[in-house]
Amino acid sequence: MYELEPDPNRQPSSDAHNTLGDTLSWAFELDNSPAIAGATWLTREIVPNARDPFDAILDAATTAKQLEELKTAYKMLRTTGATMPERNLAARLYAATIAAALVRHNTLITRQSDAALTRAFDELYADETIPERIRMLATLAADAPARRSNPRA
Amino acid sequence: MPSPSRDSSATQTNWDLIRDAASGSESARGSLDAVTKRAWPAVYAYIRASGRQSEEAAELTQGFMADVFLSRQLLGKADQSRGRFRTLLINSVRNYLADMHRRQTAGLRKPTGGITPLDQMRERGDEPVDTSEASPERAFNARYVAVLIRAASERLHAELASAGDLASWEIFQARVLRAAFDGNAPSYDEIGPRVGLDKGTCAARLLVAKRRFASILMEELRATIDNPADLQAEITELRALLSNG
Repeated sequence: MYELEPDPNRQPSSDAHNTLGDTLSWAFELDNSPAIAGATWLTREIVPNARDPFDAILDAATTAKQLEELKTAYKMLRTTGATMPERNLAARLYAATIAAALVRHNTLITRQSDAALTRAFDELYADETIPERIRMLATLAADAPARRSNPRA
Repeated sequence: MPSPSRDSSATQTNWDLIRDAASGSESARGSLDAVTKRAWPAVYAYIRASGRQSEEAAELTQGFMADVFLSRQLLGKADQSRGRFRTLLINSVRNYLADMHRRQTAGLRKPTGGITPLDQMRERGDEPVDTSEASPERAFNARYVAVLIRAASERLHAELASAGDLASWEIFQARVLRAAFDGNAPSYDEIGPRVGLDKGTCAARLLVAKRRFASILMEELRATIDNPADLQAEITELRALLSNG
Protein backbone atom coordinates (compact mmCIF):
# COMPACT_ATOMS: atom_id res chain seq x y z
CA MET A 1 0.00 0.00 0.00
CA TYR A 2 1.36 3.42 -0.91
CA GLU A 3 0.92 5.88 1.93
CA LEU A 4 0.07 9.53 1.67
CA GLU A 5 1.73 10.29 4.99
CA PRO A 6 4.76 12.48 4.49
CA ASP A 7 8.20 11.09 5.13
CA PRO A 8 9.78 13.58 7.54
CA ASN A 9 13.25 12.45 6.54
CA ARG A 10 12.81 13.08 2.86
CA GLN A 11 13.14 16.50 1.33
CA PRO A 12 12.69 17.44 -2.29
CA SER A 13 16.08 17.76 -3.90
CA SER A 14 17.33 18.98 -7.19
CA ASP A 15 19.96 17.23 -9.26
CA ALA A 16 20.96 20.66 -10.49
CA HIS A 17 23.18 20.98 -7.40
CA ASN A 18 24.76 17.52 -7.23
CA THR A 19 28.27 17.38 -5.92
CA LEU A 20 30.60 14.60 -6.92
CA GLY A 21 29.72 12.77 -3.72
CA ASP A 22 26.00 13.30 -4.33
CA THR A 23 26.27 11.72 -7.77
CA LEU A 24 27.94 8.68 -6.26
CA SER A 25 25.38 8.53 -3.46
CA TRP A 26 22.48 8.80 -5.86
CA ALA A 27 23.89 6.04 -8.02
CA PHE A 28 24.04 3.61 -5.14
CA GLU A 29 20.79 4.60 -3.44
CA LEU A 30 18.77 4.18 -6.61
CA ASP A 31 20.02 0.64 -6.90
CA ASN A 32 18.12 -0.31 -3.75
CA SER A 33 15.05 1.88 -4.09
CA PRO A 34 11.45 0.72 -3.68
CA ALA A 35 8.96 0.91 -6.55
CA ILE A 36 7.72 4.39 -5.74
CA ALA A 37 11.21 5.94 -5.62
CA GLY A 38 11.57 6.15 -9.39
CA ALA A 39 8.14 7.70 -9.83
CA THR A 40 8.88 10.13 -7.01
CA TRP A 41 12.16 11.19 -8.56
CA LEU A 42 10.42 11.66 -11.89
CA THR A 43 7.65 13.68 -10.28
CA ARG A 44 10.11 16.07 -8.65
CA GLU A 45 11.81 16.71 -11.97
CA ILE A 46 8.53 18.28 -13.09
CA VAL A 47 6.99 19.49 -9.82
CA PRO A 48 10.07 20.25 -7.71
CA ASN A 49 8.33 20.72 -4.38
CA ALA A 50 6.24 17.56 -4.51
CA ARG A 51 6.58 15.05 -1.68
CA ASP A 52 5.61 12.17 -3.91
CA PRO A 53 3.55 11.46 -7.08
CA PHE A 54 0.24 11.41 -5.17
CA ASP A 55 0.97 14.75 -3.57
CA ALA A 56 1.74 16.30 -6.95
CA ILE A 57 -1.41 14.94 -8.57
CA LEU A 58 -3.70 16.04 -5.74
CA ASP A 59 -2.13 19.46 -5.20
CA ALA A 60 -4.39 22.25 -6.46
CA ALA A 61 -1.28 24.24 -7.35
CA THR A 62 -0.20 21.69 -9.96
CA THR A 63 -1.11 23.20 -13.30
CA ALA A 64 -2.73 21.48 -16.24
CA LYS A 65 0.58 21.79 -18.11
CA GLN A 66 2.43 20.08 -15.28
CA LEU A 67 -0.19 17.33 -15.17
CA GLU A 68 0.33 16.79 -18.87
CA GLU A 69 4.10 16.63 -18.40
CA LEU A 70 3.64 14.17 -15.54
CA LYS A 71 1.30 12.14 -17.72
CA THR A 72 3.97 11.89 -20.42
CA ALA A 73 6.63 10.89 -17.93
CA TYR A 74 4.49 8.21 -16.27
CA LYS A 75 3.43 6.92 -19.66
CA MET A 76 7.05 6.25 -20.51
CA LEU A 77 7.70 4.74 -17.10
CA ARG A 78 4.95 2.21 -17.79
CA THR A 79 7.29 0.53 -20.25
CA THR A 80 10.75 1.56 -19.03
CA GLY A 81 10.25 0.99 -15.32
CA ALA A 82 12.84 -1.24 -13.69
CA THR A 83 10.36 -3.60 -12.02
CA MET A 84 6.79 -4.81 -12.52
CA PRO A 85 5.54 -2.96 -9.40
CA GLU A 86 7.08 0.23 -10.75
CA ARG A 87 5.51 -0.21 -14.18
CA ASN A 88 2.12 -0.97 -12.64
CA LEU A 89 2.33 2.08 -10.41
CA ALA A 90 3.24 4.20 -13.43
CA ALA A 91 0.12 2.96 -15.22
CA ARG A 92 -2.05 4.06 -12.29
CA LEU A 93 -0.32 7.42 -12.05
CA TYR A 94 -0.79 7.91 -15.76
CA ALA A 95 -4.53 7.43 -15.38
CA ALA A 96 -4.58 9.60 -12.26
CA THR A 97 -2.99 12.57 -14.02
CA ILE A 98 -5.61 12.42 -16.76
CA ALA A 99 -8.33 12.21 -14.13
CA ALA A 100 -6.87 15.13 -12.18
CA ALA A 101 -6.73 17.33 -15.27
CA LEU A 102 -10.40 16.54 -16.01
CA VAL A 103 -11.56 17.14 -12.46
CA ARG A 104 -9.57 20.24 -11.53
CA HIS A 105 -8.91 21.92 -14.86
CA ASN A 106 -11.77 20.59 -16.96
CA THR A 107 -9.15 19.68 -19.52
CA LEU A 108 -8.65 16.51 -21.48
CA ILE A 109 -4.91 15.89 -21.77
CA THR A 110 -5.03 12.65 -23.69
CA ARG A 111 -6.05 11.41 -27.11
CA GLN A 112 -7.09 8.03 -25.81
CA SER A 113 -10.51 6.77 -26.77
CA ASP A 114 -13.33 7.01 -24.29
CA ALA A 115 -13.42 3.24 -23.94
CA ALA A 116 -9.71 3.13 -23.11
CA LEU A 117 -10.13 5.92 -20.56
CA THR A 118 -13.01 4.11 -18.91
CA ARG A 119 -10.88 1.02 -18.62
CA ALA A 120 -7.96 2.96 -17.15
CA PHE A 121 -10.16 4.72 -14.62
CA ASP A 122 -11.83 1.47 -13.61
CA GLU A 123 -8.44 -0.15 -13.01
CA LEU A 124 -7.26 2.84 -11.03
CA TYR A 125 -10.34 2.79 -8.83
CA ALA A 126 -10.05 -0.94 -8.23
CA ASP A 127 -6.37 -0.85 -7.24
CA GLU A 128 -6.38 -0.82 -3.46
CA THR A 129 -2.64 -0.28 -3.27
CA ILE A 130 -3.25 3.29 -4.43
CA PRO A 131 -4.32 5.90 -1.84
CA GLU A 132 -8.07 6.38 -1.73
CA ARG A 133 -8.03 10.08 -2.56
CA ILE A 134 -6.24 9.26 -5.79
CA ARG A 135 -8.66 6.47 -6.59
CA MET A 136 -11.61 8.81 -6.03
CA LEU A 137 -10.31 10.97 -8.86
CA ALA A 138 -11.27 8.17 -11.21
CA THR A 139 -14.89 8.34 -10.02
CA LEU A 140 -15.04 12.10 -10.30
CA ALA A 141 -13.43 12.09 -13.72
CA ALA A 142 -16.01 9.67 -15.10
CA ASP A 143 -18.62 12.41 -15.47
CA ALA A 144 -16.33 15.33 -16.19
CA PRO A 145 -17.79 17.67 -18.84
CA ALA A 146 -14.51 17.83 -20.75
CA ARG A 147 -14.60 14.11 -21.16
CA ARG A 148 -18.00 14.26 -22.81
CA SER A 149 -16.52 16.45 -25.51
CA ASN A 150 -13.81 13.86 -26.28
CA PRO A 151 -13.78 13.52 -30.07
CA ARG A 152 -12.85 9.87 -29.60
CA ALA A 153 -15.86 9.12 -27.39
CA MET B 1 26.34 -6.88 -19.18
CA PRO B 2 29.42 -5.00 -20.51
CA SER B 3 28.99 -2.76 -23.53
CA PRO B 4 29.95 -4.44 -26.81
CA SER B 5 32.31 -1.56 -27.48
CA ARG B 6 34.15 -1.92 -24.19
CA ASP B 7 37.87 -2.72 -24.22
CA SER B 8 38.36 -6.16 -22.71
CA SER B 9 41.04 -4.85 -20.40
CA ALA B 10 38.47 -2.58 -18.76
CA THR B 11 36.39 -5.54 -17.55
CA GLN B 12 39.29 -6.93 -15.57
CA THR B 13 39.97 -6.03 -12.00
CA ASN B 14 42.90 -3.77 -11.30
CA TRP B 15 44.79 -6.78 -9.93
CA ASP B 16 44.31 -8.65 -13.20
CA LEU B 17 45.68 -5.68 -15.10
CA ILE B 18 48.68 -5.27 -12.78
CA ARG B 19 49.63 -8.92 -13.03
CA ASP B 20 49.28 -8.82 -16.80
CA ALA B 21 51.23 -5.55 -17.03
CA ALA B 22 54.21 -7.18 -15.34
CA SER B 23 53.91 -10.48 -17.18
CA GLY B 24 55.62 -9.50 -20.40
CA SER B 25 52.68 -10.89 -22.36
CA GLU B 26 51.42 -9.41 -25.62
CA SER B 27 48.70 -7.58 -23.76
CA ALA B 28 51.05 -6.22 -21.08
CA ARG B 29 51.37 -2.80 -22.67
CA GLY B 30 47.61 -2.38 -22.96
CA SER B 31 47.14 -3.50 -19.37
CA LEU B 32 49.79 -1.08 -18.17
CA ASP B 33 48.12 1.78 -19.99
CA ALA B 34 44.72 0.82 -18.59
CA VAL B 35 45.82 0.62 -14.97
CA THR B 36 47.94 3.74 -15.33
CA LYS B 37 44.97 5.63 -16.71
CA ARG B 38 42.92 4.60 -13.70
CA ALA B 39 45.53 5.31 -11.08
CA TRP B 40 47.50 8.29 -12.39
CA PRO B 41 45.00 11.10 -11.64
CA ALA B 42 44.42 10.05 -8.05
CA VAL B 43 48.13 9.49 -7.36
CA TYR B 44 48.97 12.87 -8.85
CA ALA B 45 46.21 14.54 -6.81
CA TYR B 46 47.61 13.05 -3.61
CA ILE B 47 51.17 14.12 -4.34
CA ARG B 48 50.10 17.58 -5.50
CA ALA B 49 47.98 18.11 -2.38
CA SER B 50 50.93 17.09 -0.21
CA GLY B 51 52.56 20.41 -1.08
CA ARG B 52 54.55 19.74 -4.24
CA GLN B 53 54.44 22.07 -7.21
CA SER B 54 52.73 20.69 -10.30
CA GLU B 55 55.84 19.74 -12.28
CA GLU B 56 57.51 18.08 -9.31
CA ALA B 57 54.25 16.28 -8.52
CA ALA B 58 54.05 15.06 -12.11
CA GLU B 59 57.62 13.76 -12.00
CA LEU B 60 57.02 12.02 -8.69
CA THR B 61 53.86 10.47 -10.06
CA GLN B 62 55.69 9.18 -13.11
CA GLY B 63 58.37 7.78 -10.83
CA PHE B 64 55.84 6.14 -8.57
CA MET B 65 54.07 4.50 -11.48
CA ALA B 66 57.37 3.21 -12.84
CA ASP B 67 58.82 2.07 -9.51
CA VAL B 68 55.68 0.59 -7.98
CA PHE B 69 54.06 -0.99 -11.00
CA LEU B 70 57.03 -2.06 -13.02
CA SER B 71 59.31 -3.05 -10.21
CA ARG B 72 56.62 -5.59 -9.21
CA GLN B 73 56.18 -4.15 -5.75
CA LEU B 74 52.45 -3.97 -6.22
CA LEU B 75 52.39 -7.32 -7.96
CA GLY B 76 54.08 -8.86 -4.95
CA LYS B 77 51.24 -7.59 -2.78
CA ALA B 78 48.52 -8.34 -5.31
CA ASP B 79 46.77 -11.24 -3.69
CA GLN B 80 43.29 -11.88 -2.38
CA SER B 81 44.14 -10.64 1.09
CA ARG B 82 44.94 -7.14 -0.15
CA GLY B 83 41.28 -6.47 -0.91
CA ARG B 84 40.77 -2.98 -2.14
CA PHE B 85 42.98 -1.46 -4.76
CA ARG B 86 42.26 2.07 -3.62
CA THR B 87 43.52 1.53 -0.08
CA LEU B 88 46.62 -0.30 -1.24
CA LEU B 89 47.33 2.44 -3.77
CA ILE B 90 47.01 5.30 -1.31
CA ASN B 91 49.17 3.49 1.24
CA SER B 92 51.78 2.82 -1.42
CA VAL B 93 51.86 6.47 -2.46
CA ARG B 94 52.17 7.55 1.16
CA ASN B 95 55.11 5.19 1.66
CA TYR B 96 56.66 6.23 -1.62
CA LEU B 97 56.69 9.89 -0.65
CA ALA B 98 58.29 9.00 2.66
CA ASP B 99 61.08 7.37 0.66
CA MET B 100 61.27 10.04 -2.06
CA HIS B 101 64.74 11.25 -1.25
CA ARG B 102 66.21 7.96 -2.38
CA ARG B 103 64.14 8.05 -5.59
CA GLN B 104 65.09 11.64 -6.30
CA THR B 105 68.73 10.82 -5.83
CA ALA B 106 68.44 7.87 -8.17
CA GLY B 107 66.70 10.10 -10.71
CA LEU B 108 63.48 9.58 -12.58
CA ARG B 109 63.14 6.03 -13.84
CA LYS B 110 61.20 5.29 -16.89
CA PRO B 111 60.36 1.93 -18.37
CA THR B 112 61.39 1.02 -21.88
CA GLY B 113 58.86 2.72 -24.13
CA GLY B 114 57.84 5.12 -21.38
CA ILE B 115 54.64 5.59 -19.48
CA THR B 116 51.92 7.73 -20.92
CA PRO B 117 53.30 11.20 -20.37
CA LEU B 118 51.51 14.13 -18.88
CA ASP B 119 50.69 15.70 -22.23
CA GLN B 120 48.94 12.60 -23.47
CA MET B 121 46.96 12.48 -20.26
CA ARG B 122 45.88 16.05 -20.88
CA GLU B 123 44.82 15.23 -24.43
CA ARG B 124 42.66 12.40 -23.10
CA GLY B 125 41.01 14.68 -20.59
CA ASP B 126 42.72 13.12 -17.60
CA GLU B 127 44.69 16.28 -17.00
CA PRO B 128 45.65 16.82 -13.37
CA VAL B 129 43.48 19.16 -11.39
CA ASP B 130 44.98 21.61 -8.96
CA THR B 131 43.98 20.11 -5.62
CA SER B 132 46.59 21.88 -3.58
CA GLU B 133 43.99 23.19 -1.12
CA ALA B 134 42.57 19.77 -0.23
CA SER B 135 44.13 17.24 2.12
CA PRO B 136 46.14 14.60 0.22
CA GLU B 137 43.67 11.88 1.19
CA ARG B 138 40.62 13.87 0.13
CA ALA B 139 42.34 14.94 -3.07
CA PHE B 140 43.21 11.33 -3.84
CA ASN B 141 39.72 10.03 -3.14
CA ALA B 142 37.97 12.81 -5.03
CA ARG B 143 40.13 12.21 -8.08
CA TYR B 144 39.78 8.44 -7.71
CA VAL B 145 36.00 8.72 -7.80
CA ALA B 146 36.15 11.21 -10.66
CA VAL B 147 38.05 8.68 -12.74
CA LEU B 148 35.43 6.03 -11.99
CA ILE B 149 32.64 8.40 -12.93
CA ARG B 150 34.43 9.37 -16.12
CA ALA B 151 34.91 5.73 -17.08
CA ALA B 152 31.25 4.95 -16.37
CA SER B 153 30.14 8.02 -18.32
CA GLU B 154 32.23 7.03 -21.33
CA ARG B 155 30.68 3.57 -21.31
CA LEU B 156 27.18 5.01 -21.03
CA HIS B 157 27.89 7.37 -23.90
CA ALA B 158 29.12 4.50 -26.05
CA GLU B 159 26.04 2.42 -25.26
CA LEU B 160 23.60 5.20 -25.98
CA ALA B 161 25.43 6.14 -29.18
CA SER B 162 25.38 2.53 -30.27
CA ALA B 163 21.64 2.43 -29.66
CA GLY B 164 21.10 5.64 -31.63
CA ASP B 165 19.94 7.46 -28.50
CA LEU B 166 22.20 10.49 -28.29
CA ALA B 167 19.25 12.51 -26.99
CA SER B 168 19.38 10.56 -23.73
CA TRP B 169 23.14 11.11 -23.53
CA GLU B 170 22.74 14.85 -24.03
CA ILE B 171 20.08 14.99 -21.31
CA PHE B 172 22.26 12.94 -18.94
CA GLN B 173 25.35 14.98 -19.68
CA ALA B 174 23.52 18.25 -19.06
CA ARG B 175 21.47 17.30 -16.01
CA VAL B 176 23.96 15.05 -14.21
CA LEU B 177 27.55 15.52 -15.35
CA ARG B 178 27.44 19.27 -15.75
CA ALA B 179 25.58 19.54 -12.45
CA ALA B 180 28.20 17.40 -10.70
CA PHE B 181 31.29 19.01 -12.17
CA ASP B 182 30.18 22.55 -12.99
CA GLY B 183 27.46 22.98 -10.37
CA ASN B 184 25.13 24.14 -13.12
CA ALA B 185 22.42 22.04 -14.78
CA PRO B 186 20.47 23.39 -17.78
CA SER B 187 16.73 23.19 -17.31
CA TYR B 188 14.48 20.90 -19.30
CA ASP B 189 13.10 24.01 -20.97
CA GLU B 190 16.57 24.56 -22.43
CA ILE B 191 17.36 20.93 -23.17
CA GLY B 192 13.99 19.85 -24.58
CA PRO B 193 14.07 21.97 -27.75
CA ARG B 194 17.69 20.96 -28.42
CA VAL B 195 16.87 17.25 -28.38
CA GLY B 196 13.36 17.61 -29.75
CA LEU B 197 11.60 16.11 -26.75
CA ASP B 198 9.02 17.39 -24.31
CA LYS B 199 9.78 17.79 -20.63
CA GLY B 200 8.06 14.64 -19.45
CA THR B 201 9.87 12.47 -21.96
CA CYS B 202 13.21 14.12 -21.14
CA ALA B 203 12.75 13.38 -17.46
CA ALA B 204 11.73 9.77 -18.10
CA ARG B 205 14.71 9.23 -20.42
CA LEU B 206 17.01 10.69 -17.79
CA LEU B 207 15.72 8.23 -15.20
CA VAL B 208 16.57 5.32 -17.50
CA ALA B 209 20.01 6.77 -18.27
CA LYS B 210 20.81 7.41 -14.61
CA ARG B 211 19.89 3.87 -13.67
CA ARG B 212 22.10 2.47 -16.39
CA PHE B 213 24.88 4.80 -15.27
CA ALA B 214 24.51 3.57 -11.70
CA SER B 215 24.77 -0.02 -12.90
CA ILE B 216 27.90 0.71 -14.91
CA LEU B 217 29.43 2.65 -12.04
CA MET B 218 28.93 -0.35 -9.78
CA GLU B 219 30.74 -2.51 -12.33
CA GLU B 220 33.62 -0.05 -12.44
CA LEU B 221 33.82 -0.04 -8.66
CA ARG B 222 33.70 -3.83 -8.48
CA ALA B 223 36.74 -3.90 -10.76
CA THR B 224 38.73 -2.14 -8.06
CA ILE B 225 38.25 -4.85 -5.45
CA ASP B 226 39.03 -8.54 -5.45
CA ASN B 227 36.59 -9.67 -2.79
CA PRO B 228 32.92 -8.88 -3.61
CA ALA B 229 32.24 -8.80 0.12
CA ASP B 230 34.32 -5.61 0.27
CA LEU B 231 32.07 -3.73 -2.14
CA GLN B 232 29.56 -2.32 0.31
CA ALA B 233 32.33 -1.27 2.68
CA GLU B 234 34.12 0.46 -0.19
CA ILE B 235 30.97 2.35 -1.18
CA THR B 236 30.29 3.39 2.41
CA GLU B 237 33.84 4.54 2.91
CA LEU B 238 34.00 6.52 -0.32
CA ARG B 239 30.74 8.30 0.42
CA ALA B 240 31.92 9.16 3.93
CA LEU B 241 35.30 10.36 2.71
CA LEU B 242 33.73 12.61 0.07
CA SER B 243 31.13 13.99 2.45
CA ASN B 244 33.41 14.83 5.35
CA GLY B 245 36.10 16.70 3.47
